[in-house]
Amino acid sequence: MSKIFALAAVVIKELYRRKDFYVLFVLTALLTLAAGAVNFFHDDKIVRYVKDICLLLIWVSALVISVVTAARQIPAEREARTIFPLLAKPVSRWQVIVGKFLGCWLATGVALVVFYFFFAAVTGSKEQIWPWGAYLEAVWMQWAMLAIVIAMVLLGSIFFAAPSSTSTITLVVVGGILLLGTHLKVIALQQPEPMQFILTVVYFVMPHLEWYDLRDFLVYDMGIVPLRAVALATLYAAAWSGIFLLLAWFGFRRKNLTT
Amino acid sequence: MKISPLSTLVGLLALAFTLATGLALTTDNWSSRAKSDNLFGMLFGDGRKLFANHFFTMADVYFHSGYYPSIFDKNSGEEKEIISASHGKKESEEDEKNEDFLGQPKDWIDAFGRNFRITQHTHLENHNEREILPWLRLAADLDPQKIETYTVGAFFLREHLGRADQAEAFLREGLRNNPDSCEILFELGRVYHDGNHDAERARNVWLLGIKKFFLRPPDQQKEDKLIFEGLVVNLAHLEDEAGNYGAAINWLQAAQKVSPAPGALQKQIDDLQKKLAALVPVTPGKLY
Amino acid sequence: MSAILQTQKLRVEYRTRDLRQATKVALNGLDLEVRAGEVFGFLGPNGAGKTTTMNVLLGFVPPTSGTASLFGIDVRQPIARQRIGYLPELTYYYKFLTAEELLRFYAKIFGLARAETDKRIAELLKLVELESAAKRPIKSYSKGMQQRVGLAQSLINNPDLLILDEPTSGLDPLGRMKVREIIQRLKEQGKTVFFSSHELGEVETICDRVAIVHQGELKAVGTVAEISAGFDNLEKAFLKIVGFQPSPAP
Repeated sequence: MSKIFALAAVVIKELYRRKDFYVLFVLTALLTLAAGAVNFFHDDKIVRYVKDICLLLIWVSALVISVVTAARQIPAEREARTIFPLLAKPVSRWQVIVGKFLGCWLATGVALVVFYFFFAAVTGSKEQIWPWGAYLEAVWMQWAMLAIVIAMVLLGSIFFAAPSSTSTITLVVVGGILLLGTHLKVIALQQPEPMQFILTVVYFVMPHLEWYDLRDFLVYDMGIVPLRAVALATLYAAAWSGIFLLLAWFGFRRKNLTT
Repeated sequence: MKISPLSTLVGLLALAFTLATGLALTTDNWSSRAKSDNLFGMLFGDGRKLFANHFFTMADVYFHSGYYPSIFDKNSGEEKEIISASHGKKESEEDEKNEDFLGQPKDWIDAFGRNFRITQHTHLENHNEREILPWLRLAADLDPQKIETYTVGAFFLREHLGRADQAEAFLREGLRNNPDSCEILFELGRVYHDGNHDAERARNVWLLGIKKFFLRPPDQQKEDKLIFEGLVVNLAHLEDEAGNYGAAINWLQAAQKVSPAPGALQKQIDDLQKKLAALVPVTPGKLY
Repeated sequence: MSAILQTQKLRVEYRTRDLRQATKVALNGLDLEVRAGEVFGFLGPNGAGKTTTMNVLLGFVPPTSGTASLFGIDVRQPIARQRIGYLPELTYYYKFLTAEELLRFYAKIFGLARAETDKRIAELLKLVELESAAKRPIKSYSKGMQQRVGLAQSLINNPDLLILDEPTSGLDPLGRMKVREIIQRLKEQGKTVFFSSHELGEVETICDRVAIVHQGELKAVGTVAEISAGFDNLEKAFLKIVGFQPSPAP
């Protein structure tokens, strides 16, 4: 495990020494503060739209950070050829995959905590309440979702040489699942065969990332989700992450790294 | 002959200026977007109306605290303007509750996923209705010709938030952009009557509304008869409050001709006739 | 002496895009043995299969057939690399890390204890003369400094076998001397060094045994004296073995 943590630490160091996170955080902060500064009908107690905008920006930023960071891990190591001195050490390719995953996931978690603290500060200053339980749940669920996404991206990065290809494809897939995941069965029933069958299979087989989006609970002050459901969703995320990581390892373990 | 870069640059600038002068008149007719006095109109063209519709729907979503059908859900094809000035009436609430778009879970994924969705039908209240205002403001900025934005916004400002002055300002803005709108005049009259308790101004505005109504083409008058009914019924109530029962009866009789529920109006006419009979005869009010 | 590094009938084939030839044979039944405590030179012209052999030994490329082992352990097991150090020809290290962070990272991979890590890092930074630059990111280093970082990381675990790929390539004479000194010191400590090089003069000076490969096959193996027997020097022997035909004199 210490090797995996060592690999993860390098990934985290890389993230906070690059500019991506800081740029996205500043952008999120500026847009949120701008949105909050607008006065609608001379009412300074209006807060939900600020929450909505801020949470949307947090979701987009966290997705971008996690996807872009994970997409470049293996390809960048291969391109910069740092993979060779690394694999010349007593570390297996499975440990490299898991270490990269853990590093990206932990780094994204840190970014999420910073974003949500900012969110709590801005919205709390307007409505003077801080539902920490709801915040904690929202952060945890988003972080769990990002575990699936990062594992998916790592799998893609084994097969696509260019990080941009992996990032684009993953963002499209994730965006599609978040927007359409809940409704895919309804859409399937409206299609003729064989599309109906295909979409139904996709609906049952795909990871349901939309479960992890608790923004509505925060925006509309709907309290917390039952902890049992959160626990099951966490297990689901762990299972899917494991599947993607295993598939990534299958693809990586016999790969000729010199070509 | 060698041409210097500076000469080339000057030549190109002269060519560009000449072309611009020559083409200016021609391109003037291509698009009116750049001449729009609205920033969103300039940026998005007519596409701003799509955004306006979306933001109006967002106001509705906010009003229902996120419990709202998507475009894929049942009854999605109908134009559901759940958020309306008539909201708050018991019968419309009952209708809404019966239109539960979620239904039974389709499978275990749907069932489990409902733990993470808003599944309760609620409405904003206790001054939390303010949360819908930003979206209505944006919708009005994007599409100043969308009348419902002003009427709905003014309704909530007046009725739920007690801000008659802001409701009036919002409606006046709507009137500047839509000077012939009976709906805005109707809502403005309610602001004067219910908010400011100024019967005279309310009467003037509603009468203007009726005047605008009759300026519409006959086909459109048939489609918009409900707004006419609203105007004349409110005028009737105004006359009733002022003790002008004859005038009130005349208004209600005009409303009966277009109303889908003439029986209910007849009951009101009967009550007014009783009141009139109980009075010392006075000069009947003019029918406008 | 026992074999530290061993290959038996090692064969590596690559798929090619050439329609006339579906696969290219990079190594064809290579039998190689490096004994404990010796400095072993691995020679051959470009494309002979030297790098492929190293890639197999380091686990970067799976063999098509045959076996390769380090300390008696199949090279496909990560534990086979616990007691080796590797210096690639070109410096490839994380540019955003400092030299100290890089060495600490690799020490953790080897499972070294904290105290030993601190001690080894201090020793190695002194050895490669990077003490003053240890806390700067590697991206700010010159090429020579990056080479020295490479040398330091190859020694972090005090390896029993050092695999060097063209260790003096691109180095100035002082750098080359430094590398030769380090190799000599390791030999005195009883370590084994396996390196490839085109600098035959250097190989003659420091190697105990030498192997020459050409077109994926082992052409000669033995001490420098054995291989150079009948020739003026190792270079002439090398040229003869790989089949070089000199141009006729005008």
